[in-house]
Amino acid sequence: MPKMKQLWSNRWVRLGVAALVVLILVLAPWNLDPATNQALARVGVFAVAVLGLNVIMGYTGQVSLGQIFFLGLGAYVTAYGVNEDWNIALVFLLAVVIPGIAGYVVALAAARLGGLAIAMVTIALPIIGVPLAKRLSDVTGGSQGTSARFTSAPDWFGADLDDIWQYYIVLAIAAAVFVLVHNLVRGKFGRALAIVKENEAVASSMGISPYRYKVMAFTIAAMIGGVSGFLYMVVVQYTSPETLAFHHSINLLASMVIGGAGSIAGSLLGGAYYVLVPNVTNEIDPTLTALIQGVILLVVLFVLPGGIASLPRVIRRLFQKKDGGGDRTAGRPTTATGTLKTH
Amino acid sequence: MNMRSKAVKAMGIVAIGSVVALTLAGCSRGGDAGGGDDGKGGDSGAPAASPGITDDAITLGVTTPLSGATAGPGNCTVAGLVAYFGQAGPIEFGDGKTREVTVEAFDDAYDPQKALSNFQQNQSNVFAFTSGLGTPTNRAYREAAIEEEVPQALVMTGDPLFSDRTESPWQLGFVPIYQNEGAAFGELLASSEEDHKVAILFQNDDYGKGYVEGFKSAIEGADNIEVVKELSYEATDTAVDAQLTELAASGADVFFNAMSITPLAIASIEKARELSWTPSWFLPSNTSSPGAILTPAAANAEDGFYSVSFAKAPQSPAFAEDEDVKGFLAALEEFSGDYTTKPDFPHCMWSYMVGATLEEAFKGMTEPTRENFMKSLTDISDFTAPLMLEGTSIDTTKDGQPAVASVVVQRFNGKGYENAESFD
Repeated sequence: MPKMKQLWSNRWVRLGVAALVVLILVLAPWNLDPATNQALARVGVFAVAVLGLNVIMGYTGQVSLGQIFFLGLGAYVTAYGVNEDWNIALVFLLAVVIPGIAGYVVALAAARLGGLAIAMVTIALPIIGVPLAKRLSDVTGGSQGTSARFTSAPDWFGADLDDIWQYYIVLAIAAAVFVLVHNLVRGKFGRALAIVKENEAVASSMGISPYRYKVMAFTIAAMIGGVSGFLYMVVVQYTSPETLAFHHSINLLASMVIGGAGSIAGSLLGGAYYVLVPNVTNEIDPTLTALIQGVILLVVLFVLPGGIASLPRVIRRLFQKKDGGGDRTAGRPTTATGTLKTH
Repeated sequence: MNMRSKAVKAMGIVAIGSVVALTLAGCSRGGDAGGGDDGKGGDSGAPAASPGITDDAITLGVTTPLSGATAGPGNCTVAGLVAYFGQAGPIEFGDGKTREVTVEAFDDAYDPQKALSNFQQNQSNVFAFTSGLGTPTNRAYREAAIEEEVPQALVMTGDPLFSDRTESPWQLGFVPIYQNEGAAFGELLASSEEDHKVAILFQNDDYGKGYVEGFKSAIEGADNIEVVKELSYEATDTAVDAQLTELAASGADVFFNAMSITPLAIASIEKARELSWTPSWFLPSNTSSPGAILTPAAANAEDGFYSVSFAKAPQSPAFAEDEDVKGFLAALEEFSGDYTTKPDFPHCMWSYMVGATLEEAFKGMTEPTRENFMKSLTDISDFTAPLMLEGTSIDTTKDGQPAVASVVVQRFNGKGYENAESFD
């Protein structure tokens, strides 16, 4: 184990592994069938959505049940922009900024409230969002939804390689968001969020305004939600009020918990859970999907309360116990602060 | 020294990794679109079979809500289909080969994204998608189905888009569009000898508005009918008590409740009784089930509950001895245990008819291809599927119309529905 750690601390090893991962991710779609590529692209979409939720819940400790609203808003903005023939870069920008503004405005009010009240305010978002999307049918297409197809592969890429093209778009944008958030939560900002999460009074006494940081975290979460909405349109190319229905928010939340709250890798695992588990349960028995998913959720929570992302830590701890080693770090709580310290 | 050896090790890992990755990349799939090409290049001369069909079997896919709020009707959309092909056994196709029909169901929980996922994951081993319930879910994979040239046939949505042959060349809706149903109500009411005041409550979306549009166009010019009050509600509302109180005060004697939400439909019948308002009711076909709505709401048949249908209601005493109904119930009991054996929702009967219509299309197929299937499917007229009411039939040849465009107005008799010749 220590050898591994030593090896890992070498800059070249880390760079090498990173390069390898990138290489595999880039080359993988050429060896997989289209259905798998499409599933992987969808994993990327929801991994970003879960990552956004992680910023506000996992890292800042504020319960948000409205993340799906920002995904839906981003998707609608994208669909509208594409159908109006706007420049795609502008559409992407708007799909990030508009949900960001919506998130900021809501956060200004919600962040003043504590605990459950903030959860209630965020519940309101999808509950208002669905009828609103139906009412504003000129913009949203009403309850029949609206489609926007703008991610067919260009000719130079290969006209029948849509799945790989979409995979690359998702990969590029999702990777960028993951790197940004990774750097964000590791830096000064992340440490401030961790303190706000642990104890607001302590944060205040250190000159960190819990209110300001909560608003910022909420806004960032909303913007990331917007990005995932854009990616949703890249992959699904259709959105309807059903996209932002409240129960999807709960599914996102469950995915975050299963993946691992307050963890970058956990967000990716959460996205994979969100997308792949319904496929798997469909293979097992299509009439029992809800039940099987419930069982999986319970099992993961019983066995790994910290989510799947905590698996390596749990295994390491088991080994250390066997060795009878007295490593005091083993018993560390799996909070955001703990994670930050270990790195 | 230690530093150096580590660096060497690291380089080694990277090198090996790169080799592995490049080897993997070696078997690139190039310009192959995948999936769709399976099975091509078979016997010389004979047309290549599409995916999901062999000389002795064909696989149909259904993506529909099997869990969540719409699971009841959703399960029915599979149950009837499975029952039909269960009792029919292997079917002789137009090309002379006899094939076993397998139905594969996929749960989409009414989530468009999951419906698309089900389509993408299974389109390479499913010959055609059919019978699935839901407008957003069917819309979510409509364009993908067109692009991949996979039939999305006889789906359960009242959205007219699916019956537009130019817009949707690989699609066909099965059930009547909302306007068809609303118009049938309007015509019956307009033919009444007496004066009537109508109150309307509609769901504020294309569903509710489609009904009202059809209804109003049918009563246009009828002097004996007056719409005295018209209110709407949102599909996400949990109560419509306020609207009902207001509508009851309008003094209307006919209430057109264009509602698609089961609990709300029950609640409105109960609320009207609480208000001592006893109008005649017009209910859309998917919220008029005796078993799921009228009986739980303890509806009084004497008030007059009207609905439209094109399927014989198994619960109705009028059809208790009907051969179709008996065969249907037996098949449901025998083959559909995984989904539901009780036809509580009309979707069970509808999907049974979808099965019969598909069989008709299979009989006309001369080649085992998706193109040939669509050609054969859109060439069925005057076909009376089992369970269809007298006066209705399947006609897939008319552009802009779903497979079933005609409906019959019926009246609740306390147990089931009977055809209503006139409004009284």
